[in-house]
Amino acid sequence: MLDITNLEVRTGDTDILRGLSLSVKAGEVHAIMGPNGSGKSTLAQVIAGHDAYEVTGGSITFNGNDLFDLEPEERAREGIFLGFQYPVEIPGVNNAYLLKAAMNARRKHQGLPEIDAFEFLKLAREKMATLGMDPKFLNRGVNEGFSGGEKKRNEILQMAMLEPRLAILDETDSGLDIDAMKAVAGGINALRSPDRAIILITHYQRLLEYVEPDFVHVLSEGRIAHSGDKSLALKLEEQGYEWVREAASA
Amino acid sequence: MGSRSSQRMSVISLQPDALSRVVASLSGETPSELRQRAMQQFIKRGFPTTRDENWKYSDLSNIIDISERWLAQADDAPLEALDETQIREIQASIDATWLVFANGHLHEELSSALTTAAISVTTIDDATDISIDEPLADLNAALMTDGIVIRIGENKRIEKPVGLLFVDRAASRPLTSHARVVVSLDSGSSARFIEYHASSGDANHYSNVVIDVTLGNGAELDYVRIQNRSRNHSQTQRLSVRLGKDSSIRHFGIDLGGVFTRNDLNIDIVAAGVSAEFNGLYIGSDKQHIDNHTRVDHRVGPATSVQEYRGIISGRSRCVWNGKAIVHKGADGSDATQANHNLLLSKHSEINAKPELEIYADEVKCAHGTTVGQLNDNALFYLQTRGLDRQEAKRVLTRAFATTVVEKSPIVELRQLIASQLEARLDELDDGDSA
Ligand SMILES: Nc1ncnc2c1ncn2[C@@H]1O[C@H](COP(=O)(O)OP(=O)(O)O)[C@@H](O)[C@H]1O
Ligand SMILES: [Mg+2]
Repeated sequence: MLDITNLEVRTGDTDILRGLSLSVKAGEVHAIMGPNGSGKSTLAQVIAGHDAYEVTGGSITFNGNDLFDLEPEERAREGIFLGFQYPVEIPGVNNAYLLKAAMNARRKHQGLPEIDAFEFLKLAREKMATLGMDPKFLNRGVNEGFSGGEKKRNEILQMAMLEPRLAILDETDSGLDIDAMKAVAGGINALRSPDRAIILITHYQRLLEYVEPDFVHVLSEGRIAHSGDKSLALKLEEQGYEWVREAASA
Repeated sequence: MGSRSSQRMSVISLQPDALSRVVASLSGETPSELRQRAMQQFIKRGFPTTRDENWKYSDLSNIIDISERWLAQADDAPLEALDETQIREIQASIDATWLVFANGHLHEELSSALTTAAISVTTIDDATDISIDEPLADLNAALMTDGIVIRIGENKRIEKPVGLLFVDRAASRPLTSHARVVVSLDSGSSARFIEYHASSGDANHYSNVVIDVTLGNGAELDYVRIQNRSRNHSQTQRLSVRLGKDSSIRHFGIDLGGVFTRNDLNIDIVAAGVSAEFNGLYIGSDKQHIDNHTRVDHRVGPATSVQEYRGIISGRSRCVWNGKAIVHKGADGSDATQANHNLLLSKHSEINAKPELEIYADEVKCAHGTTVGQLNDNALFYLQTRGLDRQEAKRVLTRAFATTVVEKSPIVELRQLIASQLEARLDELDDGDSA
């Protein structure tokens, strides 16, 4: 589904990614871990199409198509969803409005009619209930005045409504208490299916107790330094990242 | 005009002979005394110029030019046919009692009967207390065609909005119009007013509208001003509100059209317990010039004034916001807040924003904030990752910027109309000049 080959990315004078390769197939859940500043968010933002980053080498294809040919919105309509580490507050834009606009943009691209207003509300309420969100959040400005945890739940709500083919969740678990974590994990697990893929970017192995990954990767020095199964997450939790760095530079 | 700027006379007025001739022709009926006094005052002081601090960014040359040409032809110029469809459309858009001022004249056929047991309507005469202390208000008083006094009786609560529709049409010759309305809400009364400015025609027009409002004790006024003039139109507009004890006003003004617009909003708090909220939105594109000057005088406390103006400035337009709050000596317990936020969409557009606070009292709470910015890139990207294309994302953010203040408009029935006019306006921005 997603094939990243020798990706090199810089911003300003700094090389952030230096030859990163990763292959994600439908049905898989990948976890990407790594120390602060190792480039995890950069990778996510580049996949989503942020133009603050300059791609200086390598390629990314999504279902065989060159991602760099697509605008961010086209990537979204193709089914790529990015849950932001820092969701943006947009005062004056109604949460329900954005959800509906996002769904309709995707549906239009798929040749489907716009979602019926009643259907939309029903679906949104349903998803919000499972995420433990007050329906009042529908009528608030996008992320406006939301707490950290509420913002993350809102990202998961968008994901649940959009049913993307590839979901990249950038530290969606950080700053969540245990109940919020469980709700978010429930949302992610509900999305798991043989024709979807999920990339979890996380610092902690805690989330991975609730959402079991098929693969765990460690990002260090701008590339995937180490890959393994979920036991790798445990090892990182116990031993930190130092050994990865040493192994990588050895 | 070239000769004028090279000579730079100290007072730029209008041809006194031509002016007196027109004023005399208007003075057949009352208020002749008032007209004469106002005219003399105007001739002496002349038009404001950019050397006046309050007019620094707004040059009236074009307005003076239109006025001169209008004066030269005034006696033998019949009124041009109105665009009645435009008027009917506006009237149909909201259920209100409309008074229509067409080219400055009260148009009886297009107006509804306003007089009831609760409302009295009379014409301005020499005994009417109207403001003639400022050059353009003087000019207005000298040249006013119909001057109307609307009075809401004590403790009367008027639900249906009163609409003042100022509409001008100049198709073949330049036109000026000077309408004046005096509104008084007696104590304990409440009312809702709409001040609507529209125009049509290919020739240049200049309208100079002056509205004086007095609120008695405990009176409540909701007020919405909509300026959607044609691009051949220049206007100066002045709304002065004098607020009595425990009275309150909620005001919203929106400027969409016109080539040159100057609005003066004067809030005069003369007794305790007053609450004044005044908000506005201006959208400039092409070569439009939109200037909003607000001034609030806190003479007695405690009282609260809150204002927020927002601007969307694109193309080669220039907008001005100047918000002055004066807390006079002894007006303790005054609370004055002013905010002005601007979205600059083009590098050729310009905003001159200036908050001014003058505080002569001890116990006051004052705050002001002014911002000028572009659309937020992170928000644009966020919306794009949700499937909105960049153009649409810009539109969503621009609309949101405006909506935040439009939502403060106090007459709920007008929201739909304002929203659709806003949308049409944003279409124009998208077509040409968003950054
Ligand atoms: N827009 C940017 N401009 C400049 N530097 C950036 C930008 N984004 C990220 N960086 C830098 O790139 C490095 C990787 O950051 P990031 O991808 O956020 O790491 P992580 O998500 O793994 O913590 C950091 O050193 C960070 O300061
Ligand atoms: Mg990060």
